[in-house]
Amino acid sequence: MSGVAFGVFLFLFLVVTVMGFAAARWRRAKSMANLDEWGLGGRGFGTFISWFLIGGDIYTAYTFIAVPATLFAGSVTGFFAVPYTIIIYPLIFVFLPRLWSVSHRHGYVTPADFVEGRYGSKGLGLAIALTGIVATMPYIALQLVGMQVVLDVMGLKPHSDNWFMKDLPLFIAFVILAAYTYSSGLRAPALIAFVKDTLIYLVIIVAVIYIPHHLGGWGHVFDVTKQSFDAANQKAVAAGGKPTSGIYPSTGVSQWAYASLALGSALALFMYPHSITGVLAAKDRSVIRRNAALLPAYSFLLGLLALLGFVAVAAGIKIDQLGGNAQLSIPQLMENEFPSWFAGVAYAAIVIGALVPAAIMSIAAANLFTRNIYKAYLRTSATPEEEAKVAKLVSLVVKIGALVFVLAMNKTFAINLQLLGGVWILQTFPAIVAGLYTRWFHRWALLLGWAAAMVYGTVVAYQTPGTTQKHFGGSVHNFPGTQTGIYIAVTAFILNVLVAVILTAVFRALKVPDGQDRTVADDYVADLGDVGVEAELNPLT
Amino acid sequence: MSSRSTALWVVVGVLLVLAAVPPLLVPVYARLTPSLWGFPFYFWFQFLLVIWAALLTSGAYVLAKAAFRRDRAARAAAKGDVK
Repeated sequence: MSGVAFGVFLFLFLVVTVMGFAAARWRRAKSMANLDEWGLGGRGFGTFISWFLIGGDIYTAYTFIAVPATLFAGSVTGFFAVPYTIIIYPLIFVFLPRLWSVSHRHGYVTPADFVEGRYGSKGLGLAIALTGIVATMPYIALQLVGMQVVLDVMGLKPHSDNWFMKDLPLFIAFVILAAYTYSSGLRAPALIAFVKDTLIYLVIIVAVIYIPHHLGGWGHVFDVTKQSFDAANQKAVAAGGKPTSGIYPSTGVSQWAYASLALGSALALFMYPHSITGVLAAKDRSVIRRNAALLPAYSFLLGLLALLGFVAVAAGIKIDQLGGNAQLSIPQLMENEFPSWFAGVAYAAIVIGALVPAAIMSIAAANLFTRNIYKAYLRTSATPEEEAKVAKLVSLVVKIGALVFVLAMNKTFAINLQLLGGVWILQTFPAIVAGLYTRWFHRWALLLGWAAAMVYGTVVAYQTPGTTQKHFGGSVHNFPGTQTGIYIAVTAFILNVLVAVILTAVFRALKVPDGQDRTVADDYVADLGDVGVEAELNPLT
Repeated sequence: MSSRSTALWVVVGVLLVLAAVPPLLVPVYARLTPSLWGFPFYFWFQFLLVIWAALLTSGAYVLAKAAFRRDRAARAAAKGDVK
């Protein structure tokens, strides 16, 4: 790596750091000492800021590294990220305005707050909160993995065997992130998201025009990739194995996997606490629907980015040169093909792309802990000031936890857990989304459906072998009674709904006591200006 | 809810279904030809779906905004009657 690339990288990183701390003064509120301010940025973000904030949530550094890496490695289902991010937006359009309305009227900060209020069940709220926290932790850890990959390719790896010294740059970047998240709350990632996305757009547009042109055009890229995968398949068959590589899902089995991965991931995404945090921070109801129409711009970008995996193949990057780690393919492509100053911009884009979601995720996890564990169980009398204090500390703990996780433990472990996280978080869907429309489900039936699906999903994921590992080898497993693999999260989800429906009927018949619903029908359509839904601060235009 | 807003909500629903369902019909588009500017069909078609979904969702947004406003006015009027 050259000094120029490092200089550019460092400059951009410093700009973002200054912005992170300055964000505390941006759209300043009377007091930051409550969760609406620290944890939801004053609930006052308009369409423009929300677009960056929600985009920063969905399109993380790990996405930028991992999605092209799966295409690079020849996975026929790798491109599912595109249909997945198409299906998300109609779903957002339908469900989230109702969640926004009821959350504003009742001051809910987390999805678990809503579930607790709707079903009158602290236990169900706790289940939702714990699922959110354990699903988010490995997600944060993976943002670090994304950063680590870039720092590796930049050569910022001090030569040392000590686990701490080895990753000192990562450590420094993370301490800075933790510090400004602590002081500025959700305002920090909201402000930095502008820089992140501007850089990412710039880098990807340049990459998809400049590099393929350099290599002989997109047609050539697809041809070379196909030949390369065909050759790999022939080699695999000759060695007695099955052909596994391809540029698209050409068999019925792989098409089922593709569609179920897209659908399951789309349903799961807005159950992640950090996505809900981004949505609840919007200033009025229509911001959400307007964003559902505007956010697909990112899907287009993601598709182009994914195809950089093929570009890396066509550029002659071989997995053996990367030490077997496909995730290094995109940073390596940038290192090889870009002039050094622009490579610096690209590295900065990915690293900043990790900081934004890591900050939002740690805030979301901190909100969950504070509201649904600390205030619900440990100190029911906690004041808003105390809540903000606890959440700020927890955001530090969460980040340090993720850091230790990545530095001291096996990286595969974080990736396995991330896979499980997707399976787990989808199991909160019935309680949250059905609850937005009906109180028909019984609280204990939802809890038991959730529990059954959590156990089933975890066991099946454990039993799924991969190419290099015996357990947690993939997210697709045969649907019971068939030879067709579909996304484990979807199978578990079907089980979840079945159990919840059957047991609700049983519990209703037995007249098992139902919890008290603290919401009324009108809460779900309340908008800014209605009773109890005042703007928290003068929204800037 | 007035009958006019019901009709609007139905159209909104249809637009959203038309946006969300095509990406799931993988066998329909899982093929390589015809290619466009060097992109196999499979890839350019999904890029097209992104634009298609964005347009439909935008249309749904405009209609939903009108329907929501109408429902609000109806609710406010109903409340006024009670008083």
